[in-house]
Amino acid sequence: MKRALEEIETATRQMHVLVVEDELFIRMFVSDALRDEGYTVIEAINADEALDIIMAGKRIDIVFSDVRMPGNIDGLGLLNTLKNLSPALPVILASGHLGYKEASAEGANHIISKPYQIETVLTLVANELAKSE
Amino acid sequence: MIQSEQSFDIDAVVIVDNDILSRHAIADYLRKCGYDVVEAANTDEAVIALQHSRFSVDIVLCDIRAVGTKSGFELAAWVRQNHPDVDIQLAGSLTGIIEKATDICEGRPNFTKPYEPQSIVNYIKKLRAARERTAQFAPKPS
Repeated sequence: MKRALEEIETATRQMHVLVVEDELFIRMFVSDALRDEGYTVIEAINADEALDIIMAGKRIDIVFSDVRMPGNIDGLGLLNTLKNLSPALPVILASGHLGYKEASAEGANHIISKPYQIETVLTLVANELAKSE
Repeated sequence: MIQSEQSFDIDAVVIVDNDILSRHAIADYLRKCGYDVVEAANTDEAVIALQHSRFSVDIVLCDIRAVGTKSGFELAAWVRQNHPDVDIQLAGSLTGIIEKATDICEGRPNFTKPYEPQSIVNYIKKLRAARERTAQFAPKPS
């Protein structure tokens, strides 16, 4: 039993979550909460950085991204790019302005509105990773 | 609501680097060594971290080519002026820039890039140990 729990814990720890958020405090808060759950977290300030790390071949199991961010592309642009690059990669988007643009975010596994409860993020990430296993 | 009002009591190391690959690599290494790390993608985020009361920052490691309103050198000067209790170290990879920095800035880069993680850990340990000794032997107010 103990060994099984350790194996589950190890598997969780090996999951890599890419957090894309331009606001430092939010990015840190979400990232630290995910780290507390045992995930390896990569922090990106915008979609350009997110693509840099993905294109570099770094293992990413799920992406949690803000929608509205400065940079060459926003969260929707990142979603569209990822759906071409890696269609199976789960993407969860967060937006403070859920509207027509966000409604067109086809391919996102979830879209949540800001402000959000951190527990919601943790649950969605865990559920999506469980599905993809 | 995003519950982001928690405070960070433990001294943190701020890594300022606009290259996500370098930043993540060194930040991940330091976290695995048990340090609290703030990842700043530019100098503006570093200033936010230093100015916010929730953070207790004692060390800043900044790429000399960091982007933002301030350059890496300007951030170093700003930290020395506004946060003299914080130690800032510059890291750079281009010999020419490092030599130039020596001419114009009292704080020449001490670390080279790509980072050598263990040398940074050794530096942090040494600095914090020296601070603890200083605090231990500081004269107590009468």
